Amino acid sequence: MLIVDDSTAIRKILLRVLNQTGLALGQVHEAGDGKQALEVMALHEISLVLSDINMPNMDGLEFLRALRASERWRTVPVVMITTEGGQAKVQEAIELGAASYVRKPFSADLLRDKLAALLSQ
Amino acid sequence: MTPTTAETPVSLQKEEVANMVFAAAQEMFVSMMGAEVQLLPEPDAGRSDVFDGVLSLIGLAGAVAGSGALICSSEVACDLSSRLLMSECPQVDAQTLDSVGEITNMIVGGLKNLIEPYTGELRMSVPTVIHGKNIFLRNSQADMAVAVRCGYPQGEFELTVRLSAARK
Repeated sequence: MLIVDDSTAIRKILLRVLNQTGLALGQVHEAGDGKQALEVMALHEISLVLSDINMPNMDGLEFLRALRASERWRTVPVVMITTEGGQAKVQEAIELGAASYVRKPFSADLLRDKLAALLSQ
Repeated sequence: MTPTTAETPVSLQKEEVANMVFAAAQEMFVSMMGAEVQLLPEPDAGRSDVFDGVLSLIGLAGAVAGSGALICSSEVACDLSSRLLMSECPQVDAQTLDSVGEITNMIVGGLKNLIEPYTGELRMSVPTVIHGKNIFLRNSQADMAVAVRCGYPQGEFELTVRLSAARK
């Protein structure tokens, strides 16, 4: 798994939720932006990505676009977790192939339910 | 409320924006901290512009431009960080500032989602968070300036929003 967010606070919260709910399957990697995330993915086999949208250097939508353009990462499920609630950004993320979408602020229960549903597919 | 037009970019009333700011803060507290905030009386207009503590600022840009900010004491910043991360925060450090920045990001993001139907699409900057003493805060003129004081059992913080029609 890979958590991509420029906020260390959000990365810690997501990691805690994943650990508490038993959804942290294998090692959980972290990255502060899309560019770092691509570097992490080049080094590790990542089964699921949780990514913010608004980040410096490479934002979440650019990162998602890069994944979908790659043979290796085309099918890796990506859950967007962001404050962006605007329909245009949601639509763009879905069209780019985001598997799911969680708006910040989120409750641990909501996140657990969405991830559990996704992992059971 | 009247949806905005090109001629009247800030068509919302001040009280409506204040209610949206409080609603965004409440949603963040309930979802992420398992607590509720209370609306406190408006800040005294004659209070000092100088303060000690933490200031977290996010820029807004679009047909309406401006900023959203969270201002609190160092003690409240530590308490907010402790609640968000569920870990001790004995003093303000990089993690505390990151937490306060993210709290501001979620509150201003919530407000953005609420006002966009009236202002058109807005973009948010990443948060800038400052910790210090004798911070002198000077705001330029804005078409609308809203200050909302929020209280919870361990303290209080202030949220300010300043909006103006974007210059062409």
